[in-house]
Amino acid sequence: MSPIELGGIVALVLILALLSGMPVAFALAGVAMLFMVLFNGLHGLNVVADTLFAGLNEFALLSIPMFILMGAAIASSRAGSDLYEALERWFHRVPGGLVLSNIGACSIFAALSGSSPATCAAIGKMGIPEMQKRGYPSSLATGAIAAGGTLGILIPPSITMIVYGIATETSIGRLFLAGILPGLMLTGLFMAWSLYYAHRYGTAIQKNTEGYTWRERFEILPKILPFLAIIVMVLWALYGGVATPSEAAGVGALFSLTLVVVIYKVWRGSELWAILKTSTRESVMIMLIIGAAALFSYMMSSLYITQGLAEWIAGMEMNKWLLLAAINVLLLLAGLFLPPVAVILMTTPTLLPIIIAAGFDPIWFGVMLTINMEIGLITPPVGLNLYVINSIAPDVKLQTVLKGALPFMLLMVLGILLLTLFPGIATWLPDYMMGPQR
Amino acid sequence: MDRYIRLVAQISRLCGITAAAMIVISVLVVCQMVVMRYGFEASTYWQTEFVTYLLLAATFIGSPYVLLTKGHVNVELVPLYLSQRGRFYLALFAASFALLVCLVIVWSGGEIFVKSWQREWHSDSVWAVRLWIPYLAMPVGFGVMALQYVADILSLLTGREMPFGMPAEGGE
Repeated sequence: MSPIELGGIVALVLILALLSGMPVAFALAGVAMLFMVLFNGLHGLNVVADTLFAGLNEFALLSIPMFILMGAAIASSRAGSDLYEALERWFHRVPGGLVLSNIGACSIFAALSGSSPATCAAIGKMGIPEMQKRGYPSSLATGAIAAGGTLGILIPPSITMIVYGIATETSIGRLFLAGILPGLMLTGLFMAWSLYYAHRYGTAIQKNTEGYTWRERFEILPKILPFLAIIVMVLWALYGGVATPSEAAGVGALFSLTLVVVIYKVWRGSELWAILKTSTRESVMIMLIIGAAALFSYMMSSLYITQGLAEWIAGMEMNKWLLLAAINVLLLLAGLFLPPVAVILMTTPTLLPIIIAAGFDPIWFGVMLTINMEIGLITPPVGLNLYVINSIAPDVKLQTVLKGALPFMLLMVLGILLLTLFPGIATWLPDYMMGPQR
Repeated sequence: MDRYIRLVAQISRLCGITAAAMIVISVLVVCQMVVMRYGFEASTYWQTEFVTYLLLAATFIGSPYVLLTKGHVNVELVPLYLSQRGRFYLALFAASFALLVCLVIVWSGGEIFVKSWQREWHSDSVWAVRLWIPYLAMPVGFGVMALQYVADILSLLTGREMPFGMPAEGGE
């Protein structure tokens, strides 16, 4: 059997295992074991524990639970509402300002939490009812938040980027920097569309007539500035070459927890345990998938599937743009069903050699992949953000949310196209700040 | 049977608390390391290795708790469209397959633990950790996870729990 046929069979079995509804980690590990036994006999299972252990024996992985803890601490506090409130007080005079404040708050909170559903929930809880109250159509209100929330995995720090960096052995610092401009670009596109839509929708949207005094505008700042300071500090530590991502994230986590305790007075045992519980669950879930994916990619390369596929695609001498389009479709499809972390771990060991051989930049590809994953977050059947919106705004029908999210989805596709035409949007900033690669 | 299910749930919860504690300890150790290294310019030889192993252990030990609280992500697309009967068999298959995976890791991890214990393996760093300590987390974590899967399968068979935790009226 050729590696290509074998690869096809492995992919099919994996898809069946995933569709059975078993946890992603077990599907990956189980399918890996199955093929190890089929080709090497029971003897093949000897390496299971060692491979699993080696896959997780990596200091850089520590940045994942640290950033998750940092995000969970901030998300559990009222920081999201305060952030939103602050933007509203400063920008309420801008026409359509409310929806702009919401998208802006999403992109800033994305930097604080590194997680898309958390961003959605933190900003949407306040933002959606407020927009509805002022006459913004529900579809726009929910769509903007759903889409704004997806920025969580693009704007640094981002768990998705860390996983990509570890899986492909590319610099996490570079990846973070590469996400900034595309993140701002998408924020801009989202804002432009919302403004246009809000204006076309017409007069029903009331301006906020209350107005705020300068005193009110300034007194809210001390509440949010410390969190912004943490982000600036974490990023500074990363790029100043002062600390590794894990160290920066660890210090960031401790500071955020302290701030949440001091400023938001979250100090009851049950509240702290809730933060810890959420972040432990999420971290362990992601880490176990990483371990299982190590097992899976070990199997793939020990059966020469990874290498065979790369040779096969290189041998076809396909037009590189056609290849890129095909890869994008594949990622998009995978992203519709699986969480970003799982997609990255399953596909990049195979895709990256192909991408590099075709002459694309791995950092740029990481950004592209992340935007693909963002689309998956607001598209059924498993768009995580849609469910978050559904639970914080139960009065809005899922259909309405979908209708509102669709234009934003198209804007992300536009973003991918722009990024393909002008790769510099992603690569300029890291090259400028850290010097050209290698 | 109820006693078994409750007991396993307690053990899994205990595992969750242990894992959470390990994560908190790693935060503190990382911060201590940063202060030592950049504040006092002292050498930090054990911290990196310590937190890496701690996180490894937290992953394995914490997994049964994540399973108990249904936190391991899965694709629920097919179960959503199946009848109640179909869901039952699919859930039974998925849980049994996962149980098998756990048992393989318990066996393989147990073997590596015993070997590292008998042959007194140390990590090849200055700190030279006895490797059986981190290895032990594998058979223990997946062992408890296997017990938790048995409990889940029992709950499923006796109708204590709906397949995939979905309400009955969804199917058909």
